[in-house]
Amino acid sequence: MKLDELQNQFQRQLLAQDCQDADWVSASSRGLSAQFRLSIYHNAYRVRLAETLLDTFEHTANYITAELFDTLAYAYVEKHPSTNTNIGMYGQDFPDYLKQALPSCQEVFEIAMMDWLLRRAFDGPDSLPLTKHRLEGIVASGKDISLLKLVPTVCVYTQQWNSLDIWHAVNQDKEAPVALTLPEPITVMIWRKETSPHFRSLSHIETKALELLQSGQSIESLCEILSEQFPDLDIATEFGQLLARWLGDEILSCNPD
Amino acid sequence: MSSFGLGLRTQHYHDFLNGQQAVDWLEILSDNYMVDGGKPLIMLDKIREHYPMVMHGVSLSIGSINGIDKGYLKKLKALEQRVQPMWVSDHLCWGGVHGRKMHDLLPLPFTQEALDVVARNIHQVQDTLQRPLVLENVSSYLEFESSEMYEWEFLSALCRSTGCKLLLDINNIYVSAFNHGFSASDYIQGVPTESIAQFHLAGHQNNGVHLIDTHDHPVCDGVWELYREALKHLGFVPTMIERDDNIPPLEDLLSELNIARTIASEVTNQRAAS
Repeated sequence: MKLDELQNQFQRQLLAQDCQDADWVSASSRGLSAQFRLSIYHNAYRVRLAETLLDTFEHTANYITAELFDTLAYAYVEKHPSTNTNIGMYGQDFPDYLKQALPSCQEVFEIAMMDWLLRRAFDGPDSLPLTKHRLEGIVASGKDISLLKLVPTVCVYTQQWNSLDIWHAVNQDKEAPVALTLPEPITVMIWRKETSPHFRSLSHIETKALELLQSGQSIESLCEILSEQFPDLDIATEFGQLLARWLGDEILSCNPD
Repeated sequence: MSSFGLGLRTQHYHDFLNGQQAVDWLEILSDNYMVDGGKPLIMLDKIREHYPMVMHGVSLSIGSINGIDKGYLKKLKALEQRVQPMWVSDHLCWGGVHGRKMHDLLPLPFTQEALDVVARNIHQVQDTLQRPLVLENVSSYLEFESSEMYEWEFLSALCRSTGCKLLLDINNIYVSAFNHGFSASDYIQGVPTESIAQFHLAGHQNNGVHLIDTHDHPVCDGVWELYREALKHLGFVPTMIERDDNIPPLEDLLSELNIARTIASEVTNQRAAS
């Protein structure tokens, strides 16, 4: 059998739901069937990917119980062959899969999204953060600071459920609160500060300000738009407070485009 | 005299940062550091300041009929430039074809056609890295009807045609010999002495009728004996304990590494006496 054919058949065996016999496997000196020996690889493929999902979606698993997570993880592996060389990237579609698999538990999707985004922030691209000290240096040097840029690990998404409270409880090994829809959706920001992923919820004005920053608006333009959208607020004061917090959180980047 | 190392694992980062440990070098899992940024690379750089390193990958898929993934090779080269390792290794296996990734070290048939494919891929890697690639023998649980030669003959031919080096995993020889009924001694006698760059020592799981290469147990007596035989026949090359799961405290691995040192010392003394 040619190598091309052999590798194709071997791989098809591993991806098939049930492991079959194969005449291209030679007889075993220990009397083990080809099917049995292929099943070692067949099983290892599934275990390895399911363990990867458990590692990435640890809080999700703790919330829905290990038993249910295992069932869902193995079902996901069966339907989603891995295509990324980096096994840590496996599971990108798992939150969406949970959304469909557990239609009456939509908070699970949001918790899984948090797990996924926190993991991505963990080893996402580096960037020199803009700190108060560095900002003062830039101002003193007379360089242009009209455009602010976010560090590459910043990610913003919306939650409809009290998923943050649930995630916190699970993280502290406490009993999770009952899942509830929020009076209004909240926006959550995830990013990496130094070596650790962080997250927090955002106010309406901060959500809008970050959206404007991400779209490349200058500080001047950003403040004008915020003034129009939040006429009751003192935007100069608000922006000053936001900037101070962003510098402390290290979500602004010193790196040029 | 041989040098002795350990595989760097996240559980031991602080042990290596907080004091000089009794290892000559560390082996990193290349794939764990082929990331965009963050803690893995920060820790890597800090530990690299204090220890020589070698790089060991699991995803090169050197035996794939589809050839080497150029994106992966580019990242490997970038990491090699960053780490400046003593050598770069991966496994004699394939890990998936046509865009699918099996995340496993799948065995190859030992045929002339497979030799040609692997040699072609090795040349591509060596041209990029500008250094000999070191290839590790894998444990396997099946053999192929189409095989035309023994594994050690395949490895020897590969070293001759490409100039690649070998990382002999003594445990993997032990596991495959048990599973397929060949002589581990024949394997040791059959590989080219001058091509051996490194030994791996590891544990496995005994399932009675077959052994599984789990790398989550201490090295067993049979593997220690085979290591002794390898030292006698192949000479002294850098040796390390490879633990991938069920990671114990660093002291346990250092103690296990001392067993390797003791065996190497005994073989040296025996040689001197004779």
